[in-house]
Amino acid sequence: MKTTLTRRALFTALGGAALLLATSACQSAVDAQTSTGATSAAPKAGGVAEVGVNIDLVPANVFTNSNASITTLVGLVYDTLVRYDLSGVEPKPRLATEWKAADDGRTVTLKLRSGVKFHSGRAFSSADVKFSLQSYADPKWNGQLLSTAKTITGIDTPAADQVVLHLEHPVANLYDLLETVPIIDSDTAADIGTGKKFVGTGAFRFEEWKPNTELKFTRNDDYWDGKPYLDGVHVRIIPDAQSLLAAVKSGQVQLARGIGYRDAETAGTTPGLHATNLEGAELQAYVGLNVTAPGLEDPKVRQAVAFALDKERIIKEVFRDRGYPTSLPWPKTSPAYDKDLDGRYHHDVAKAKSLLAEYGKEVPEIPLTYVGNDQVFTAIAQIVQNNLAEAGIKVKLDPVDSTQFVKQLIGAQFPGLWTTNHSWAQFTPSTLTVSAYPFNARRNASKFSSQTYTDAAEKAWQLPANGDAKAAYKELSNQLLDGAFLAEIGVVFEQVVTRDQLQGFTWSKRRELDLSKAHLT
Amino acid sequence: MTRYLLRRAPSALIVLWLASVLIFLVIRAIPGDAASVLAGADASPEVVAGIRADLGLDRPVVEQYLHWVGGLLTGDLGRSYLIGGDIASLVADGLGNTVALTLAALVFAVVVALVLGPLWASTRRAWVDRVLTGFHTASVALPTFVTGVLLIIVFGVLLRVLPTGGVPPDGLFARLDFTLQYLALPALCLGLPVAGVLTGFLAETLRSELRQDYVTTVRAAGVRPREVVVRHALRGALPVAVTTLGLQTGALLGGAVLVESIFAWPGLGLLVEQGITRRDYPVVQVLLILSVAVFVLVQLLTDVVHAYLDPRIRLGGTS
Repeated sequence: MKTTLTRRALFTALGGAALLLATSACQSAVDAQTSTGATSAAPKAGGVAEVGVNIDLVPANVFTNSNASITTLVGLVYDTLVRYDLSGVEPKPRLATEWKAADDGRTVTLKLRSGVKFHSGRAFSSADVKFSLQSYADPKWNGQLLSTAKTITGIDTPAADQVVLHLEHPVANLYDLLETVPIIDSDTAADIGTGKKFVGTGAFRFEEWKPNTELKFTRNDDYWDGKPYLDGVHVRIIPDAQSLLAAVKSGQVQLARGIGYRDAETAGTTPGLHATNLEGAELQAYVGLNVTAPGLEDPKVRQAVAFALDKERIIKEVFRDRGYPTSLPWPKTSPAYDKDLDGRYHHDVAKAKSLLAEYGKEVPEIPLTYVGNDQVFTAIAQIVQNNLAEAGIKVKLDPVDSTQFVKQLIGAQFPGLWTTNHSWAQFTPSTLTVSAYPFNARRNASKFSSQTYTDAAEKAWQLPANGDAKAAYKELSNQLLDGAFLAEIGVVFEQVVTRDQLQGFTWSKRRELDLSKAHLT
Repeated sequence: MTRYLLRRAPSALIVLWLASVLIFLVIRAIPGDAASVLAGADASPEVVAGIRADLGLDRPVVEQYLHWVGGLLTGDLGRSYLIGGDIASLVADGLGNTVALTLAALVFAVVVALVLGPLWASTRRAWVDRVLTGFHTASVALPTFVTGVLLIIVFGVLLRVLPTGGVPPDGLFARLDFTLQYLALPALCLGLPVAGVLTGFLAETLRSELRQDYVTTVRAAGVRPREVVVRHALRGALPVAVTTLGLQTGALLGGAVLVESIFAWPGLGLLVEQGITRRDYPVVQVLLILSVAVFVLVQLLTDVVHAYLDPRIRLGGTS
């Protein structure tokens, strides 16, 4: 029997062989990404931690703790002079090992750690502290503690390991500044704004930033606090929250920042995944009130708004119980926290109605501005609208995009109410009232102006070391509660979802990622 | 053919100029600007004003437009307000990724259409017709953000056979096998609606061709049914399909914005989406004018191919 090889049979055979060869030579990209690290549960050196964040870097904002990419980069690359424990505001040594304030509170002497090197190999010295503090005080870097940085009128560097700060007046939040300012390398500082170089003394060296793609870091073998276990950190920019969740579920990343509260709750119940509250680095959700808007000019109406808010429901339903309701802006870890005062504005519709009755006029419809593509604040806005309707105040929802929202916040352009987060209450209380724009006594988004509030804020800020802090903070809290230009909803925590493989990660009070002791199992 | 091209060029240039004006004005009509983003939520109005002045946003709009167009004409695309780098290198980085993704989606769509279109046009089996009708409806109707998430859940999370997103760690050209795996889901997601549209058009055009007299003649000559479709009717249907493909390329570029965001694919789509969100005017302006230019060019090429395939068009134009 004659067998003929047809053209079709030949092509089929060749195609099949090629496919077979390709398949056998082909490695799974998923396996390649998920098989890093050792298998032991004990800390072991090696491996690259894969981190996913939902937003890209803005190099010009590196001195602000404004997004997850920035706080990840700063936490890995830079060090600060002191570091607060997550449970309070007691400074602990980092690049500064000792500090002493003069009796008048206007001079502070810092002793610096020796043997510390920048990633460039250059030795760290007092000149770098001077350069970093002066850079932070430059308005072009938008540092949030600018007003505190500007109180430093002179910086002496009598020795390589000694710095003397001269202050215009005593400031209660000086150590907040020293805890916040990253110590940068003067030789490469010009490259920070373009995202080309980030040189610090931290546990990891910055290698590369590809916009909208990734950030790469390698281990700093000369790190003063011991060589990190990890060989490096690879940060992937994954803007879509669902894709970020899928990446951590599939094991492509071992740590994800930017997953919504509901998804984080679900992920936390998935075997192999954990949802961690960044406790000590609290955020506060609030409703802001423009005190010049019709109706809101009367404190009774503003207080009625505060009583009408069902904070428990918002914390439970929107933040999935990852926080707690408050009336004061301070978290429980703050020295200004006062349990009695904090219970002042509980959910009480009858009280809200009674205050509105005392006001005696009908409150016109009030717009409520929020970031429309943010699911959390969209949900909060809807609940607030419902709560205020129960009390008899009509609210019109006004969703805007994030850029417009920030512009309105900075420019005090909200027509009525707004809702968002604020930060800085986890630091020294006076930082909030001199630095966070919604609370700024001199000028704020609510257009609230009161000499007694300004006096209370200044007093708390310029408190001498031996001053009565408790009384000053109580006065500040009372002023905030009476003025009711901001109605607090509650303290909430950022959620970080991790896989079992990554152990030992921690964070700073500014939500900066610390992987210096982290390891892969 | 050259005269045909020269006749089409002025209208292409006018479209580009009008697009540049429109893009420039529309992006500025959105409230908020990059200065607010750069300043952050705790900045003072003075700081914001200082940043606006540094970026040149306080200058008259006409001056800003002329500065931008002047730069474009001299090859200076400008600098990103937020990323900090020059736009030419940002575009160069993103372009390779977007081209790879769009080409992969296009190849997928064309292959699917060339296989399913003739099959749908010539089938006499009811179930095949029903399956292909279902495929056509689903592929056209399902938005990419739904198919994207579904593909990620099925292939990335449940089956774990393909990456959920991103690009190969060592770049697109380091390992072809990795590149294909990373490309698979975004290309499928992006190409699926185009595949559906192309399949539908090709099948419909083929049905029309199959009713032509010359096809009856070919059939009468004893040519096998498959060859009638593939060798004869398909040739007549191709000009219409090519025109549709040209139009769909524009849809692919538009769809890439969403698909790149879903799959963290760092192409021009993701860059433009970030640019719009953060009011990075120079980046958005360059990317949008670039996409208009590409679209105009593709249309021009489509017309040329169409004219080549159908001589009546170019001859009609010269008479």
